[in-house]
Amino acid sequence: MAQIGVDEWVAQSGGRRDQGTGWRKLLASAEDRVGWWPRLALVVFAGLIAGQLINDVNLQNVAFNGLLYAMLALGLNIAVGWAGLLDLGYIAFFGLGAYGFAVLSSSATGSGGNGGTHLPAIESVPVVVVVAGVVGVVIGLIALRLSGDYLAIVTLFVGQAFMEIVNNIDPGTLGGVNGLYSLDSFHSFGHQVTSPLGFYYLALVMTVALAAILHLLDTSRTGRAWRALRDDQLAASAMTIPVNKLKVMAFSFGAMVAALAGTVFAAQQNTVFPTNFTANILILIYACLVLGGVGSIAGAILGGLVVTIGEQLLSSPNDAGYLFYGLILITLVLRVRPWRYLAAVLAGVVAFGFAARGIVGAISSSAVAGGPGSGGWIGSAVKHYVIVPSSPATYGNILYIVLICALILIVRLHGIRRLLTVIPTVYIAACCWESRLIVNPSITTQIMIGAILIVTMAARPQGLLGTRRVELVDQ
Amino acid sequence: MQEFIQTIVNGLQTGCLYALIALGYTMVYGVLKLLNFAHGDVYMVGAYIGYFVIRWFGGPTSLSIPVPLLLLIMFGLAAGGCGLLGVAMERFAYRPLRDAPRIAPLITALGISFVLENTVLLLFGGEPRSYSTERFISFSTGIHFGHVSIDTVQILIVVVSVGMMFGLRELVQRTTLGKSMRAVASDREAAEMLGINVNRTIALTFFIGSAMAGVAGVMSGLAGIQVANTIGFLAGLKAFTAAVVGGIGSIPGAMIGGLFIGLAESFSASYISSQYTDLIVFGILIGTMLIRPQGIFGRPALQKV
Amino acid sequence: MKRIITVAVALAALTASGCGSSSNNNTTSGTTTKAATANACTTSIAIEGPFTGPVSQLGLEQLDFAKLAVALDNAANKTNVTLNQDDTQLTPSIAVNKTQAVIASPAVAVVGPAGSQEVNAVGPLFGRAGVAFVTGSATLPSLATSGKNPTFFRVVPDDNVQGPQDANYIVNHLKPKAVLLIDDAESYSQGLANVMTPILKKAGITVNRQSYNGTDTGATLNNALSSLVTSQLNASETVTILPWQTASNAQTFGLDAQQQHKKTILFGTDGTNIPSQFHISGSYVSAFGPDISLTKTPLDNSLVAGVAKYGPYGSFGVPTYQAADVVMKAIASVCQAGQTPSRSNVLAAIKTTNIPTAETPLAAVVKFEPNGDLFDHPGYLFKVNSAGKYLSIPNK
Repeated sequence: MAQIGVDEWVAQSGGRRDQGTGWRKLLASAEDRVGWWPRLALVVFAGLIAGQLINDVNLQNVAFNGLLYAMLALGLNIAVGWAGLLDLGYIAFFGLGAYGFAVLSSSATGSGGNGGTHLPAIESVPVVVVVAGVVGVVIGLIALRLSGDYLAIVTLFVGQAFMEIVNNIDPGTLGGVNGLYSLDSFHSFGHQVTSPLGFYYLALVMTVALAAILHLLDTSRTGRAWRALRDDQLAASAMTIPVNKLKVMAFSFGAMVAALAGTVFAAQQNTVFPTNFTANILILIYACLVLGGVGSIAGAILGGLVVTIGEQLLSSPNDAGYLFYGLILITLVLRVRPWRYLAAVLAGVVAFGFAARGIVGAISSSAVAGGPGSGGWIGSAVKHYVIVPSSPATYGNILYIVLICALILIVRLHGIRRLLTVIPTVYIAACCWESRLIVNPSITTQIMIGAILIVTMAARPQGLLGTRRVELVDQ
Repeated sequence: MQEFIQTIVNGLQTGCLYALIALGYTMVYGVLKLLNFAHGDVYMVGAYIGYFVIRWFGGPTSLSIPVPLLLLIMFGLAAGGCGLLGVAMERFAYRPLRDAPRIAPLITALGISFVLENTVLLLFGGEPRSYSTERFISFSTGIHFGHVSIDTVQILIVVVSVGMMFGLRELVQRTTLGKSMRAVASDREAAEMLGINVNRTIALTFFIGSAMAGVAGVMSGLAGIQVANTIGFLAGLKAFTAAVVGGIGSIPGAMIGGLFIGLAESFSASYISSQYTDLIVFGILIGTMLIRPQGIFGRPALQKV
Repeated sequence: MKRIITVAVALAALTASGCGSSSNNNTTSGTTTKAATANACTTSIAIEGPFTGPVSQLGLEQLDFAKLAVALDNAANKTNVTLNQDDTQLTPSIAVNKTQAVIASPAVAVVGPAGSQEVNAVGPLFGRAGVAFVTGSATLPSLATSGKNPTFFRVVPDDNVQGPQDANYIVNHLKPKAVLLIDDAESYSQGLANVMTPILKKAGITVNRQSYNGTDTGATLNNALSSLVTSQLNASETVTILPWQTASNAQTFGLDAQQQHKKTILFGTDGTNIPSQFHISGSYVSAFGPDISLTKTPLDNSLVAGVAKYGPYGSFGVPTYQAADVVMKAIASVCQAGQTPSRSNVLAAIKTTNIPTAETPLAAVVKFEPNGDLFDHPGYLFKVNSAGKYLSIPNK
């Protein structure tokens, strides 16, 4: 396959990978030998097994959401990853799909909650997807005149306009701010999907089918032309690639995928609201795509799953605790070498903590009177270890600021000094977590999502499964 | 007529604030080709710094120092604090990404924005804070005729932002720092070869841009805008739009773009519909950009082959 | 590459351990709940509210009061109920996800969610699972009357109680020729405005109905509000009705009017009832919850003291205290009857709630209609004096 958009260094990466030894080498060579389609089959198999294994409704919903975001990231990848168009109006097509389905499969067009259109999914979904595709073409035609950040502004307007339209125009049919509820489920040929597990399988089938179609598209003439366009528009047009047509196609294809995801979303939620389609959701989709790796189909799917599962883990205080302490531990394991230093640091953290708590406890007993915020075994493990005063709010806030300063200091320091600073920092992090962060888990979740985004991008800017490529900055 | 003038006054006030934020956007973009979506949150932090300065000096009703001195301290601390925040952002989050794909720093910026907004929520809570400016700078000062009233704060906002824009232009055009900024903007590697300290130049660009956002934050608070942890996002979005409309990378463009959006907003809210304001403003923008795709002051980009 | 593989493996392991632990947790805590309740009345409930996002102020206030209710009732009734938090950000889709999580958890009942649009989205889910949910702020009348939410309860009067009360007060006491009525384009605000408009019109008052985007913030919001003052507020409109979610927006509007030398009496509703933020002298504020800082019963005193450390509060906290209290008392009554709290018996106990006036911070007995509406409750009305203090006044 032609490696367009891959620079020389990357093109040689296969050669360098063979330098690995042991199981890594085995893994890497296995990765090379298995083709794309068997890999997809593996994913399907894993998905089916997971469906059988997960019997908790909550986890089934998480899995569904993961696949939903995977689908959305796949669609966004067409415009952003392949054609290189910064599309900030993508969310409007997701909303268009959801609202389209809601209007065609509910009592919205009837009066007083009765009547209305109740098309089966086999009819409503294609209608909605085609309409979204046409709207995508129209917007793509407008966007043709603009490039780069100007395009971003125009598409941003599309997202904004969608929100204002569903909010304000015809509240009788579109529900206005109250949204539409009691939608039909997905039904066709006398069957209907109602259970969370059913929706999971539906999303699995759709995601896999989408991935297969997109893979064919990616390796086709059109896919190669898109990448040529992304990497150098001028060169592409010089090689008689129809630049304008391709841009419009990318917009329109992305819009269709988003609309498809929207229909499933509406059916699963049973409701649609204008606030489901805000900039925040768009940010999340972008995060999925970029974390997974822009331009990569597998990356988009992985990104969707990782972001959703991560968010789910963070939303429960106990699991967030595991994640918080786990991340600290993993960072230490990865960054502190050799092993004896790591052992010394860990021992140092434990010793430092007990000493600090002992000293503070001896000076004032009320300063250690509060219990840790964590429950479970973490809570009991750190109970006699962290310093938590009886009213921890202000103390926790100060610790939080100290923690940030300490982290900045660590980045600046090197060698043995850095190791020595790590010890109190980890202890401060534990105290801060137990006294402040865990008290408002929802705020902490958002902070951790932000921090994870920053750190991941710094560690691996091309995303988990993306490839490095050289970019021309001047558009 | 009075309504018309008052609408202009409303729009100018908002426009100047957008313009100040947009200046920071445009400078960073000019030098790094980086869309710093966290810029709006720097502005939010500036507004909080001003609030705590007022609290520190006894609160709006019982100030322990004269008002001009208070303003000076507020502007100084907000500019300094936000400037440092900007430098830290650049050093720890953006610098590792300088040669990464363009979309990566965008995600980092969103990450920073999440962290800043929620850190403020964690530390100071969700309730909006008010400067209560009317308690120490009375509404009766300023210019009044009929139903038109232009108060001292509004005059201050216009004077300071226009002054800062001219100062900034002088800085970029005439000083050594400005020259190195322009050099880094046009070709980073060549600038480095010529002995320009690229890292220092970029850090200073961030400092100046963020400091202006801090000043904008304090002025927002003075203008009676409620300070909350969520005010940064929308302001950043509007400023980004302003910068693009004016021609991103251009300093007078950011100023004109900001004023343009502020006025468009107040006129559509006053004369057309307060509900569809965003739609109308964006509609005007898109019209403008379809006619002049490179923005009002932007030069058509030369394509390098 | 080496490092990447290590990171990937480590992440996978972490994710797996996290997932594993979460599911383990649920099952173990579920079983311990059942085992332990026989003697100690141990169980858990959940609260859904907007703890982050644009209206986090409202949500965090609700959270503080709910925590307080759980703590006080646990101590008074010797129960051991834990409160799980689910942040919905006032967004129905998030509320749906969180609700599915709550239904999958061992929680026996729920406090919240905060918004009417959220109740619309999650009510049927709770109904199917048989989980009772008691909200302290969703006031859309159809939530109870539509029949779609069989396990729905609210401890606040709905818009059909509050709207007419407010409108009639304006007609009878303030006697304006014309009013300016601005909604903030949200479910709650439009609901109240829709109820009030016909009553005002019937009394021969000209209603100038406007709307602004309530999700705007900062400079954009200010520009919208001052433009409304400039262009819409005319001399005959001696009353301006602001049924908004955010008190500080009403304060900004009031200051804009003062700055532009326009005279009007502001009339706010629940969301604007935060004395520390909305204190334009001479304004009226109606609320679905009382101002407990003015009354002096022992319960009110303990509530005021209990939330003092959290900062200012408005009209959202007290009803949510009451909502959590209803759930807690229902659980306690189940335990006292010698049963293990389950979703069905807690639901049954909530239906028969009957809390006497002395034991509630609200002004009357807390009982529910069969459809979940609060039984015969008035709204509350305050007037803001020149010092910015709220004085309770009769609303008839």
